Amino acid sequence: MADFTSGFFMPDQATNGRVLIVDDEADIRKVVRMTLQKAGYDVLEAENGEKAIETINYGENRLLLDVLVCDIRMPKINGVEAIAYFRANYPRVPVIVLTGFPDTDMATSMLRQGVVDYLVKPVEGEKLRESVARAMEQRELAHLQ
Amino acid sequence: MQHLTDRPAIEKLAPIKVAILGAGRGGMALLDLLHQIPSIEIVGITDRDPGAPGLQRAQHLCIPVTDRADELVSNHGVNLIMDVTGDPAMERFIHAHKQSTTEVLSGSASRVLWELVQREANLQAELFHAEKLAGIGSFATGIAHDINNPLQLIMGLAENLVDETDLKAIHDQAQDIIEAVRRTSAICRDLTQYARKTSTRDDAMVPLNNRLDEALKIARYATSFHDITVHKSYQDGVEARGNPDEVLHLLVNLITNAVQAMEQGGGALTLATEKSTHGVNVRIIDTGCGIEEDLLDRIFEPFFTTKEPGKGTGLGLYNVKTLVTKMHGKINVESRVDHGTTFTITFPLPSEGQS
Repeated sequence: MADFTSGFFMPDQATNGRVLIVDDEADIRKVVRMTLQKAGYDVLEAENGEKAIETINYGENRLLLDVLVCDIRMPKINGVEAIAYFRANYPRVPVIVLTGFPDTDMATSMLRQGVVDYLVKPVEGEKLRESVARAMEQRELAHLQ
Repeated sequence: MQHLTDRPAIEKLAPIKVAILGAGRGGMALLDLLHQIPSIEIVGITDRDPGAPGLQRAQHLCIPVTDRADELVSNHGVNLIMDVTGDPAMERFIHAHKQSTTEVLSGSASRVLWELVQREANLQAELFHAEKLAGIGSFATGIAHDINNPLQLIMGLAENLVDETDLKAIHDQAQDIIEAVRRTSAICRDLTQYARKTSTRDDAMVPLNNRLDEALKIARYATSFHDITVHKSYQDGVEARGNPDEVLHLLVNLITNAVQAMEQGGGALTLATEKSTHGVNVRIIDTGCGIEEDLLDRIFEPFFTTKEPGKGTGLGLYNVKTLVTKMHGKINVESRVDHGTTFTITFPLPSEGQS
């Protein structure tokens, strides 16, 4: 992980933004990373809600994390709990749910909590990138307010 | 058990002593049914054919087997003779030898009884199947998760392969896709095997360690195993006589319950098998919420459930107990609230001469 100063003042490369992907399956994190890196995003990974909370609270991420892509069914702190934490503590960071379970009740409840998109796996790369791009715009608008 | 005390006083009288003549399919079905009823004592069974299947079953259940039909029929202690030989000559034989106070069920009366026993067996099988299918409804979340995750991997890798030029990466990613497809197809194979109607094939020696492993796989669809550590303590070669599909069904039920009891905060699931001089034991141990003492007596009752409406049929443990009893086993439960629950099933040792 980059140290605080170098990341904060001088990112390694110009990116279109920083995305944290939270999923308990390493394979999923790998392909989402591939998909998002193609659109020039800087991607961080966490394997569960607990690690995600640690990651967002770590050094520069507190300021530089732009979008969160989060699964629901995970060990330790699950997606629902993690998202509640992020909405409460980092309300300006848009959250996209990427889950294996097409559950309309869950989707409705998540969208009510301010989640910007509820995507059901398998999602096409283009759709995921569009969703992240829209979330990035929201993030910028939130900064301007 | 608690609820039995509410029954009419008749069951508290001395048991009805029954002799069974005929150990073919009818005799064996009668044995299986009657030996489960506490108010009935089977004093003996006989058949002209020493290889009749009911005789083996009787030995297994420690019920006296005799080749002297006349002695059995004339036995003073017998209250009721059940003749399922289907032999018209037997009726005359019985009446010539029996005590005057002994009652006889034979001819068309025993045929009616046989039909009822058959019907009861069919209804029981339907009930098992219905409860199993109702349970599979709750697998939707697990199945969706386990199918959609590999699909996401396949989608992502395939999209990348469209313009990937590095040969090594192409090779590795193609391998990952093949592996993901294998994982997905294994789900369908496991579940279709589990969901099928229990075969009526004859009982066999069922390897219990293997059944526990299979049941664990199926239970993972039924409930979330997050924050659950699984320990296995298997003794080699532990087996019991029964129907492999039914054993799987009852173990899936017990494992699913155990894991659901640890939904809040996780815990440890222990699956253990051991042989002892008295029988073979299977233990399913959780460190979950436990069962309150006043509910322990009721958990095997049909339609008793502590789950939210729509979440449980209330038939799971009832069916578990019925299936265990059918295999001539016993089930015991120990539980402490907030500490966990242990279910112990004891099956009889496979007796000599059975394959």
